[in-house]
Amino acid sequence: MKRNTNWLLAAVLLIGGLCMAGSAAAQVTLEVMNPRGEIPPPKTLGISPRGGNLDGKKIVLIDNGKYGASNFLDALADMLKQKYPTATIVMYPKPAAQTITDLPKWYPTVKQQGDLFVFGVGD
Amino acid sequence: MPGVYFTTTEFLDDAMSAAKDRGMPGIRTLALPADKYYVARANKQEVRPIVEAFFDKMVAALTRPLTAEEAHPDQARKQVESANIKVTGKDLLDASEKVNDLFLDNHWADGLPIVPPTPELVKAMEAGTTRSPKEVLGQVAPKNGTATVEKIAINSVMAGAKPEYFPVILAAMEGFLDKHYDLTHVVASTGSFTPVVIVDGPIAKELNFNSGIGMLGHGWRANSTVGRALQLSLLNLGQTWPQVNFMGLTGRLEAYTFYTFAEDTAKSPWEPYNVSQGFQAGDNTVTVSSSGNPVIFGGGAVAPWTAQGVIDQVVTQIRNRGVVWPHAQKHILVLHPDCAVELANHGYTRRSLQEYLYEQTRVPYEKLAKEVSFGQGTEEEFIRASIADGRIRPDRAQIFLDNLKPGGRIPVVQSPDDFHIVVAGGSPGYDLLFTYPGTNWAHQTKKVSGATLTKAGH
Repeated sequence: MKRNTNWLLAAVLLIGGLCMAGSAAAQVTLEVMNPRGEIPPPKTLGISPRGGNLDGKKIVLIDNGKYGASNFLDALADMLKQKYPTATIVMYPKPAAQTITDLPKWYPTVKQQGDLFVFGVGD
Repeated sequence: MPGVYFTTTEFLDDAMSAAKDRGMPGIRTLALPADKYYVARANKQEVRPIVEAFFDKMVAALTRPLTAEEAHPDQARKQVESANIKVTGKDLLDASEKVNDLFLDNHWADGLPIVPPTPELVKAMEAGTTRSPKEVLGQVAPKNGTATVEKIAINSVMAGAKPEYFPVILAAMEGFLDKHYDLTHVVASTGSFTPVVIVDGPIAKELNFNSGIGMLGHGWRANSTVGRALQLSLLNLGQTWPQVNFMGLTGRLEAYTFYTFAEDTAKSPWEPYNVSQGFQAGDNTVTVSSSGNPVIFGGGAVAPWTAQGVIDQVVTQIRNRGVVWPHAQKHILVLHPDCAVELANHGYTRRSLQEYLYEQTRVPYEKLAKEVSFGQGTEEEFIRASIADGRIRPDRAQIFLDNLKPGGRIPVVQSPDDFHIVVAGGSPGYDLLFTYPGTNWAHQTKKVSGATLTKAGH
């Protein structure tokens, strides 16, 4: 009986092995090409140094023109004036519908308006 | 200048992606809760609790000293894309399925099955053009991936395009990459704008583009796979993905194939559309534009219509939109052949129809909006600013200036040329109006060239 069992086990292993060998032989490898383009990395910049507090600072609030941003920034201006009475609030909205090529000319003008900026609300 | 940037939770990934793309990944950003902000922003009182909740965080972001990483971030390294990839399966179907899973997991596919882009298939695709695989067509927004002929070929294989179509795909990509096509807006905006792709010339018939009944539908390999090749090329070369940096809120209605069709020059009573764009009759061209959801006019097979009635409906539709970014607006009116022939029988040429539309859609000065969308001030102020900075061309400016007064009628576009009239559709058919409400130009026509497998397009 034990001998028969061994034969049976051997047969199962043999058949199993053959099946595995068969499936290994039938394996298919596809070589495919990457569809993505290389991206030249931009120069990475740090952000501007900061410290201290908002007392006496000139804070520029930039409305990006999206609906409701003016309400958000108006409420923010109220709170800034209340909590930092010596700070000056400058509302400096982003010009309407600037073209992409125009924006680089506009952004440097923000710096002339004050010490710090808050931009919102992006979507 | 120290600053802080407010966005919302739904747009935080998009904001950080854009900051990284522009070389300032450390910009301090605060994300308002989207589910609360978009409802509360309607008035100052309702939005105040959100301001209060974020006030201290904003102050901290404006004043907290920089970390070393914020002050001196590591320089971004070139994103090295893997070379060819080997995928093994128990059989061809299994391997193909694994390729599909891999590509979708990597955000390299669109959700429908792709054809695995093997080097052999890509080489066959490249054989459709005389152009070198290494030729660079440009950088694709928003991440500025480099578009080579080879990379576009890979995406075209994935889309199921035939090599014969490849020169058309390349010409369309040249249109998208033109500096006067605002690709960033088209591929990223919340507006879910869809490119419009119009093939003109003998190559359209040779490649069996559909320009008749069902021209925007399924069943024509050229329409479907040329559009899909462009979609995949933009997705993979510009590297956009929904909810990350493609923020189209509904997604595009023609997400997989764009609005891709051919003009029916044989049934048109007028010269081919591309001739109106300065090309020669017989030239093969692709026009790429962009649109919100198109508006359908006419009666089709179920209701009577008149050609003049269709045009009147088009005029009403456009005039009711008002003056929206007149410096950049363009309208593509696709007339089905019967309607175009009827208009021609009534004496309209393409040019006279353009002029009619230009005149009839002008908006009374008194109806100019008091507030411009996405901006500040009145519509009149916006138009005057557009004249001052040259967006409205000097040769058209006087027409606007003369009409910015009571009793004046303001054009909705710069000139009659901004009404693009194309003939396509069935018999019976409907008429379509494609309008792109973007603030920049997004319309280009490019000549097909370099074809090796077709009689046309060499």
